[in-house]
Amino acid sequence: MKITFPHLGNAYLGVKALFDGLGIDYVIPPFSNKTALEIGSLHSPEDMCLPFKINLGNYIQSIEKGADTVIITGSCGPCRFGEYCELQMNILRSLGYEVDFIVIDAPKEIGINTLLQRIGKVGSSSTKNRYGKLKAVRDGLKVIHMIDAFEAKVRDLSGYEINKGECKNLLNSCKKDLLKCSAPSEMIELIKRNEQKLLQIAIDKHSTPLKIAIIGEIYTIIEPFSNLYIEDKLMDFGVSTSRKLTPSWWIKDMVLKPLGLNSMDIKRASKDYLSINIGGHCRECVAEAVLAEEAGYDGAIQIFPLGCMPEIVAKAILPTISKEKDIPIMSLVVDEMTGEAGFVTRLEAFIDLLERRRQNVLSRN
Amino acid sequence: MKIGIPKGLLNYKYMPFFQGFFYELGAELIVSEDTNKHILNEGVKYCVDEACVPMKIFHGHVASIKDSCDMMVIPRIIQLKEREFICPKFCGLPEMIQNSIPNMPEITSTPIYATSKNKLFSWALQEGKKVIKDTGKINSAFDEALRIQKHHHNGIKNKGYKLNIALAGHPYNIDDHFINMNLISKLNALDIGIITEECISEDLINSETSNLFKRPFWTFARNSYGFTCHLALNKKVDGIIYVSSFACGIDSIVIDLIKHRIGDFPFLILKLDEHTGEAGLETRIEAFVDMLERRY
Repeated sequence: MKITFPHLGNAYLGVKALFDGLGIDYVIPPFSNKTALEIGSLHSPEDMCLPFKINLGNYIQSIEKGADTVIITGSCGPCRFGEYCELQMNILRSLGYEVDFIVIDAPKEIGINTLLQRIGKVGSSSTKNRYGKLKAVRDGLKVIHMIDAFEAKVRDLSGYEINKGECKNLLNSCKKDLLKCSAPSEMIELIKRNEQKLLQIAIDKHSTPLKIAIIGEIYTIIEPFSNLYIEDKLMDFGVSTSRKLTPSWWIKDMVLKPLGLNSMDIKRASKDYLSINIGGHCRECVAEAVLAEEAGYDGAIQIFPLGCMPEIVAKAILPTISKEKDIPIMSLVVDEMTGEAGFVTRLEAFIDLLERRRQNVLSRN
Repeated sequence: MKIGIPKGLLNYKYMPFFQGFFYELGAELIVSEDTNKHILNEGVKYCVDEACVPMKIFHGHVASIKDSCDMMVIPRIIQLKEREFICPKFCGLPEMIQNSIPNMPEITSTPIYATSKNKLFSWALQEGKKVIKDTGKINSAFDEALRIQKHHHNGIKNKGYKLNIALAGHPYNIDDHFINMNLISKLNALDIGIITEECISEDLINSETSNLFKRPFWTFARNSYGFTCHLALNKKVDGIIYVSSFACGIDSIVIDLIKHRIGDFPFLILKLDEHTGEAGLETRIEAFVDMLERRY
């Protein structure tokens, strides 16, 4: 069994640590790229949302590299992500690929026994004993937590750096080196070393960079290819960005959800604008706009794939938040037709607007 | 008190219930006109650009009556069946309306979980109290409204035509004759009989969906999938026409699931949006009917 999975930001590093620890054979799909998107768009239904198309491209590129089992998470609505697995199975089968799907779904929906059986399918091909398996899971979680936290720190600091590009280079080289590691413990050590290096980067404590919160649909904000590397672009502009939704946030949210203890801050912040959870991450999007204002951010950028149902509701609500809280919010819609030039122009215009709102137009130098 | 009920979305299906309920409570009812060019334009003006055309039309209906009523029925329908949902946009409908249309009167934003009589009653109690304080009256109005809804039959089943097709799609696309450009009478004029999903039994639909890998979690999806696949695989109709709206998330999945299941059975998808031209629609229907006749 050779397992593969779709890309979602840094998730591949966590998965790598997990499978390395378990001793299971796996294929990390090539980073989401134009070819993957083209393959995906070719075989997907026309109206389907962008994440589906990139996912499909990821699978097919991994299958070509030898993968025979796809592992994905599921959900049970009301967003269409929950139906991905069924359709993707149909499409891959009709294309003649013989792959097995392991869908990790909520126990409430498929029953705890089915869930354990599906997880067991993965675990059975591991040679490790029970303790080794638990340790692998713990290491996987640790890696994903550490890298997400590290990335958040880097993206925040990049606005303050004196030598432009240092933060970005550090982040990129860290991720590159992580891929070369062969054991989870090495990965953890490597991230720790990079955290030390980050402390040595020269920063100007008195500069006041623009701060922008990235909000919106979880896949398109986490997976850099789908949003045309917006965070890297903002880093180049010397803007500090923050993004609350990460793979590690998602795991925490999933675990705490049955207890009702998940995302308390989000529930509080969204109370005035959207009182109930309507599926997808609409409520998170609305709440993050409010939280961004509370934290003193200059603006927020909402990103979502064309036709995303929950985010359309959020887009209707955001102008009200923008007006009442006096924070500029820009909505960007991405799909396979998104052109880079138009995208960058809008981004630049938005940054110009944020700068002018400050008293000193040249604050960013 | 004047209660406004906009036509559009699932109000097409549940209009008798809402009308009956508020009428029994002694409110004056203001129902919006049938969809027309003006309503569509108003909806396009107010609604978020990315939304589907039924949503825009609903916004238009709301805008057309908002100044003449004290309270508006904007149903936030979350569930019609246990463990099933409608569409995220329905769950956020009151928020969309409130934030997109200025000067709105009070609206009914209590979530509707119509999975059991008791749960539905909690909606009725909450919203009924805004009209009248008397709980007993709300109770009897609720029972009456349910009775009216039960006796109201949606759905079309034509008899005596040469060829028959299954007309699938969300009820609000099929029942809104403006947006689908009188599709039903056009088909009838071409000597095509129609059957819609309301006219086959729930059991047949469920037996069809039970062979999916994953239980569909949208009521719309389950109905459309079960209905079309059952009729197609049992050769009860000659073809299927699926009326869908552009950028509908649910349809993007369901249509593909149906295609995979029915193979090369005649299947026409009509996508509607605010730019759909009548001539193009007619040509496609005629071509489809010609094809069916040749197969016949």
